[in-house]
Amino acid sequence: MMFSSDGFLTDQPPSKGPSQTHLFTSFPNSAVDLNDDDDDDDLLLDNKSNITQSYAYKPANEENLSLPLPATNKNNTNNEQLHIWQLEYYQKYFQIDTQQVLERLLGSITPKPNRSYFNSTIRHNPDLYGPFWVCVTFIITVAISGNIVAYFQLPDTDFQIDFSKITLSAILICLYWWSMPTVVYFFFRYYIKCNEYTFLELLCIYGYSLTIFIPVSILWMIPIAWLQWLLTIIASVISGSVLIVAFWPSVDSDRKSFNALSMLVVLFAHLFMAICIMMVFFHVSDNNINSKIETTMLSTMASSTTTTSKV
Amino acid sequence: MSDDQSFFLSTSKPIEIIEGNITSASNQNELSTLDEPIIETVKRDLKAVLRKFGHALIPRQSSTLLQQWDLWGPLILVTVLAILLQSDTTTASSGMQFAEIFTLVLIGSVMISINSQLLGGKISFFQSVCVLGYCLLPLLIAAFSNNLLLYLPYRSMLHIIRFLIVMTAFAWTMYASIRFLGQTQQPSRRMLALYPIFLFYFLVSWLIILRKPFK
Repeated sequence: MMFSSDGFLTDQPPSKGPSQTHLFTSFPNSAVDLNDDDDDDDLLLDNKSNITQSYAYKPANEENLSLPLPATNKNNTNNEQLHIWQLEYYQKYFQIDTQQVLERLLGSITPKPNRSYFNSTIRHNPDLYGPFWVCVTFIITVAISGNIVAYFQLPDTDFQIDFSKITLSAILICLYWWSMPTVVYFFFRYYIKCNEYTFLELLCIYGYSLTIFIPVSILWMIPIAWLQWLLTIIASVISGSVLIVAFWPSVDSDRKSFNALSMLVVLFAHLFMAICIMMVFFHVSDNNINSKIETTMLSTMASSTTTTSKV
Repeated sequence: MSDDQSFFLSTSKPIEIIEGNITSASNQNELSTLDEPIIETVKRDLKAVLRKFGHALIPRQSSTLLQQWDLWGPLILVTVLAILLQSDTTTASSGMQFAEIFTLVLIGSVMISINSQLLGGKISFFQSVCVLGYCLLPLLIAAFSNNLLLYLPYRSMLHIIRFLIVMTAFAWTMYASIRFLGQTQQPSRRMLALYPIFLFYFLVSWLIILRKPFK
């Protein structure tokens, strides 16, 4: 259907007469396609760019009158340039299923000396979902357990949720999650000069290595000092050994002592992080108990002196 | 359509000029809602918000929450919840507490919506913020009843009763949001999308349990 020279819709192809000054070549969009998602504006932008390309009207080709396919169609995404400000750009880091996440979580807490779980599970598909939400869960459990511990240590009236401590722990843990892979990446790239791990895989493995600390942070609430130290050491040894098993194949060169040293550095960094968290939030030492007794003694002494002075 | 009319006039052949009103039906509706008194608009919006409250409380099969999303309901709910959870008498720190809860709910909803979009969910950003906000309603009811209960004696029993009320509200909230948001993901990733929602509502219920009343 198209406009003929006298302005009415006809079925005949256009014939540009001598008096015609203009030929309709593009048509505006019809009403919104109800099957579309009411999604972000990125889709509308892509639709508009497709329309402006179909400027020349071919009467035999009726398809130009219909709307182009929405960009959520899987076949279309390969043709478009995804930019860093579009959400779809980051979707490739989240191609993961529940089953795979559970496998990776389980693999990060069971060190198997022969088979590196890294090679079997993460290598072909690193993701950012697992590490991010493991970190967030860790921060939340540390915050909640630390608050419970503080609740029992302080008198009842003074208790407030200390958000500054929570933000501090959040910053520390995220910093650890990002800085250790950076260090390891540069170490592998410039010192050992083998480019075996991408930065994303390192992020992934470090994020998953924090899973064991989640149940440990709940157990850290038990106010027995030696138990807290024992838990810290066991947890960091287990997750550190998973890391070492993952890194060992690429460090395995002639310099045996150097390899052992570098792996020990990784282990000690892990231990250091765990000790920091424990000391800041949970540590029950004799100091804490003594200080509470002292404050109560001081308050009773102050009240008794005031009563004696009044008498 | 004025372009067409100029096209008609520029040719030399005598043509019949078509005249008439070109407003379509949708234009007329928009004009009419612009002219109506404000009380009508407010009443209509309020009715929509209250209907969505009902849907959040008793999740049925309808998709009203998803298709006709609005952000008024979540805003009202979060503000009332933040006011209810204030526990300090000094104005400075009570302002801080209000800001804490508001920020927590805001950032939590944003992170969950981005997460479900990144996992490939078929729901838009504002729809998911809307659903998360509306599903806070049972927790709000629990916070309100907690505040009322604190005026009664029997402190130790009260703690247990408050805890049970908040846990029930948390389970109700999770059920409602699973009904609404669970359908929008592929089955293999459903748990991945629902776990952050669990964390979020767990944090909010934790804050409700923990707040102490005014002195």
